[in-house]
Amino acid sequence: MKTNNNNISAPAKQLPGLFSLLKQYKFLIALLIMLGLAGNALNLAIPQIISHSIDTYTHGAFSPERVVIEFALVAFGMLVFTYGQAIVQTYASERAARDLRDTLSAKISRQSYEFVEKIGSAKLLTNLTSDADSVKMFVSMAIASIVSSLFLIVGSSALLLLLNWKLALAVLVIIPLIGGIFFFVLRKMRSLFLHSREVIDWLNKVINESILGAALVRVLHSEHNEFEKFTKANSDARDNGLGIVRLFSILIPVITLVASLATVVVLVFGGHLVIGGNMTIGDFAAFNSYIMILIFPIMMLGFMSNLIARAQVSYTRIQEVLAAPEQEEQGKLLGPLGGNIAVKNLSLKIGEHPILKNISFEVKPKTKTAIIGPTAAGKTQLLHLLIGLISPTEGEILFDGKPLSEYNTESFHESVGLVFQDSVIFNLTLRENIAFNQKVSDEDLAKAVRAAELQDFIDGLPKGLETSVSERGMSLSGGQKQRIMLARALALRPNILLLDDFTARVDTKTEKKIFQNIETMYPDMTVLSVTQKVSSVLHYDNIILLMEGEKLAEGSHEKLMEMSPEYVQIYRTGQSAND
Amino acid sequence: MNYTLSDLTKEKNSKRAFWKAAKKLLPILAPEKKNFFLALAAILINSGLTLLAPILVARTIDDYILTKQFGGVLVFSAIIVLMYLGAFLANYFQTRMMGGVGQRTLFRLRSVIFDKLQELPVAFFNQNKAGDLISRINNDTDKLNQFFSQSLVQLMGSLFVMAGAAVVLVVLNPRLGLAALAPAVFLLIFTRAISPWVKKRNTANLQAVGGMSAEVQESLDNFKVVAAFNRRDYFREHFHEANVTNFSAALHAGIANNVFTPVYTFFSNVAQLIVLSYGIYLIVEGDFTVGLLISFIAYVNNFYNPLRQIAGIYSTLQTALAGWDRISQILELQSNLLVVAPEENEKSLSHPSLLQFQDVSFRYGDGKDVLHHISFSLEKEKTYALVGPTGGGKTTTASLMARLYDASEGKVLLNGRDIRSFEAAERTQKIGFILQDPFVFSGTVRENILYGNPKYADSSSEQMKEVLEQAGLQKLLVRFENGLDTPVVTVGSGMSLGQKQLIAFIRAVLRAPELLILDEATANIDTVTESFLSEILEKLPKETTRVIIAHRLNTIKNADEIFFVDAGTVTRAGSFEHALDMLLTGYRGS
Repeated sequence: MKTNNNNISAPAKQLPGLFSLLKQYKFLIALLIMLGLAGNALNLAIPQIISHSIDTYTHGAFSPERVVIEFALVAFGMLVFTYGQAIVQTYASERAARDLRDTLSAKISRQSYEFVEKIGSAKLLTNLTSDADSVKMFVSMAIASIVSSLFLIVGSSALLLLLNWKLALAVLVIIPLIGGIFFFVLRKMRSLFLHSREVIDWLNKVINESILGAALVRVLHSEHNEFEKFTKANSDARDNGLGIVRLFSILIPVITLVASLATVVVLVFGGHLVIGGNMTIGDFAAFNSYIMILIFPIMMLGFMSNLIARAQVSYTRIQEVLAAPEQEEQGKLLGPLGGNIAVKNLSLKIGEHPILKNISFEVKPKTKTAIIGPTAAGKTQLLHLLIGLISPTEGEILFDGKPLSEYNTESFHESVGLVFQDSVIFNLTLRENIAFNQKVSDEDLAKAVRAAELQDFIDGLPKGLETSVSERGMSLSGGQKQRIMLARALALRPNILLLDDFTARVDTKTEKKIFQNIETMYPDMTVLSVTQKVSSVLHYDNIILLMEGEKLAEGSHEKLMEMSPEYVQIYRTGQSAND
Repeated sequence: MNYTLSDLTKEKNSKRAFWKAAKKLLPILAPEKKNFFLALAAILINSGLTLLAPILVARTIDDYILTKQFGGVLVFSAIIVLMYLGAFLANYFQTRMMGGVGQRTLFRLRSVIFDKLQELPVAFFNQNKAGDLISRINNDTDKLNQFFSQSLVQLMGSLFVMAGAAVVLVVLNPRLGLAALAPAVFLLIFTRAISPWVKKRNTANLQAVGGMSAEVQESLDNFKVVAAFNRRDYFREHFHEANVTNFSAALHAGIANNVFTPVYTFFSNVAQLIVLSYGIYLIVEGDFTVGLLISFIAYVNNFYNPLRQIAGIYSTLQTALAGWDRISQILELQSNLLVVAPEENEKSLSHPSLLQFQDVSFRYGDGKDVLHHISFSLEKEKTYALVGPTGGGKTTTASLMARLYDASEGKVLLNGRDIRSFEAAERTQKIGFILQDPFVFSGTVRENILYGNPKYADSSSEQMKEVLEQAGLQKLLVRFENGLDTPVVTVGSGMSLGQKQLIAFIRAVLRAPELLILDEATANIDTVTESFLSEILEKLPKETTRVIIAHRLNTIKNADEIFFVDAGTVTRAGSFEHALDMLLTGYRGS
């Protein structure tokens, strides 16, 4: 008995977190436990009724009416209590999972982009789905099962001792025996269970990549290749599963055997007692029934200890996310921004890898600045730094002379529009995609649509702006997506517009029109454009040349043509016939 | 063809659907026949011995305990112990065999699903949300996993014990036996009546789970926009909505799934009551003994306890079948893009064009035409360019060249033969396609550039270096921190778009295709690197035909012929100047 108790509480004691979750649901848990106890108390009453009936019959005082009424009441009570318990259990656990997921998503939504990138969306998805499910399982199964199991073990042991303490002691040896076997085998099994989680992650990764890269796989006809990758993971999953089966196939029969031998003990010693007149035949029958009742809860506790361990791992993972520091205190400065940007000695490292090295430059209000540089020069990261998506390792960024961190985020983001390099289209209508920030007025929306040269496209759709866009924007062309991204940024009427390689997927003619539109419709906007295309930024006020994270040169096109050989090279190779 | 999965979900006759779904599982179970029957034999022995024991217990009570002969008690107890030991061995064998059957079946099941996934065309992946697909495959196979790895063993054992107990009950005393079994009839009716409801609830629940993970996936992948546009509430609210939907679906499913156990327990208690009162009545009548009554109660438990377990398993089975149903939807889809038999007359052309579009029209799903009656041909050893405004149909045209889709009307000929008559291996070896959205697999740069290319799979680093040097690709690798060994992750900011495009480019060039299609393949690559790429393209074997889609006109200056693609039509633009003119002036809006 004692050893068994220790088995259960040991893993829980080390990690108190999981049980603290229950505090919020005190009432539900209390109700759950009460219903569980009531159902099980009635369960214990049934062998008593049987034993009593047999004994009263042998003494010739059997009253069928009483038995039928008692029995029917007990059976009906059990039906009500067990179903009641099941409903409360489902409700409590689903609510706990729902609340946990809401808390988690609220936490994630307050976090920085940097945080989400670092943790990875796959892991957060796991936290929100399967980790929350493990905790749910804990609430739904573990609580009620542990309480009921302990109650049944204690209750039926007590009743056995009352019936005949000598025989009871002989039989109760099975509790520590079964508990011990369970504990031992499950501990061996735990590493296999942990590994099975890893294998499932691995399998999922292969599946996910094969779905996301489906087009590439078909172009290269590498379906077989994918299948081999998958088979490797799948085989590992099977072998791990077979390992668990091997342990299980020892565990279950051994426990059945121990329990069966207990009935033989009752037969031999109980028989001896009945023969000696020290026990009634009814008590003898009840003894058999109680042994049956005893075995199941012992096994249950074993399973639950495993479930708790798993839930604890999941809950710790969720807690890690919840415990992550929130974004720093928001600044109080409100916009609108004047448009002056000063970057001072900015450095950025991702891990050990330097992305940007000591960059300084200034952007004057209402001017146009271009950042030009080869692939992997750190251009996109620079833009992410400018909009505060990530924070620099060293150096500072000043807007109108004040550090970025002193601004109120909301107000800041309303003043700065960023058009991302890759298209991010939500599974919403075109209107919701463009007016993504909800403060956008209909006028601003219409203006942005016109400026991004989307009017004709939208007019051509039967449902116009209300057309819903499928996930990943599959039904749109690359250029259309890019223009929607631009309209989304323009709809904010930003004072500063940051463009990340905007022109890459838009044809030259449309690009020209769009830039004309921006100049006439948003004349006071400060523009900072990252691009590969020198030709489209020749007339810009300032051009910054970035290479391998370093600023190599800065100045107007004419100036750079004179002083920067790298720039001249880029210009010459990029020079196209029409410009 | 329509590949949208949610459109395929129809309200079906659930009872028939159950058997239909179960039946479809049979071929996957077939290879386990032998193991399955061996396990069944062990189950038979185990349950036989388990069932025999209470009879011996009854005999012991009636013949020896009630007659006070302790010697007989000892003898019978010894026999019972031996029987239990036999049952122990059979039990071990049964659990192990059956568990093996479950694990191996699961293995095959996953393989079948994955294999199917590889057979489906690109259209399937475009018409379904990636998040939902992933959930469908991960979660739903996990439901099957739970059934096969945990419940199957239990189910088989329970079925036999239950059946055996029923037989023993009726043989020991037909009247009492039938009376004891009567409540089971009610259970059967109850279960049949309630199952469709339970299954519907579970299907709805699985759908809600899929919807929720799709929501999370989308929001997390697009988190930078959520952050930059200060729409943190977007994530919270959209997730909350999905979360609440999921909560109520799960609650309903839970209430439905939990209905079985209490009801089964109730009827098992009713059965015990029947045995007790009717049994005592029979003893009074002199037709029955006390020992038999005790055994009878044990047998009633042996019948109803497994039945209750089966009820518990039944809901796992229902969930598993609901999952299997959703997976079957995928398995039932036609792998279209089948290879058709080549037509005789087409082979006779002596100098066929490399690629020819004959009056091709195309629409996605059931939408409107994206391409209208296009005809043109590409000759060997030339360089072509497709230009035109965004949304005009360039990518679609290129996709048809590589047979990512089949034309809705008309024909595409490769070397004068219907492109559909080529085996996939042959076709993809001839046609290289650098996609607009580059995708990388997690691994290293080396693994990625050699992906799907068995030719260099076993090459050493030195050999690789040489190959890359020869193709002029070596200098592109300086864009990667650790060259070939630079690690690659699929998601996240580890790698820039330009770097991914470089990988796609190197990968395609190393395959040395006859036709190389570049769909804005250099859009995010700087001009200096791009000029390297042009050099590499120049260096390609003379036989290589190139099709370039680009906005930057310098990349298409060297094209032999330019096609102007706009509003779903393809016009031969002739010279570079002419194309330029078309681009700058009169194109229709798309």
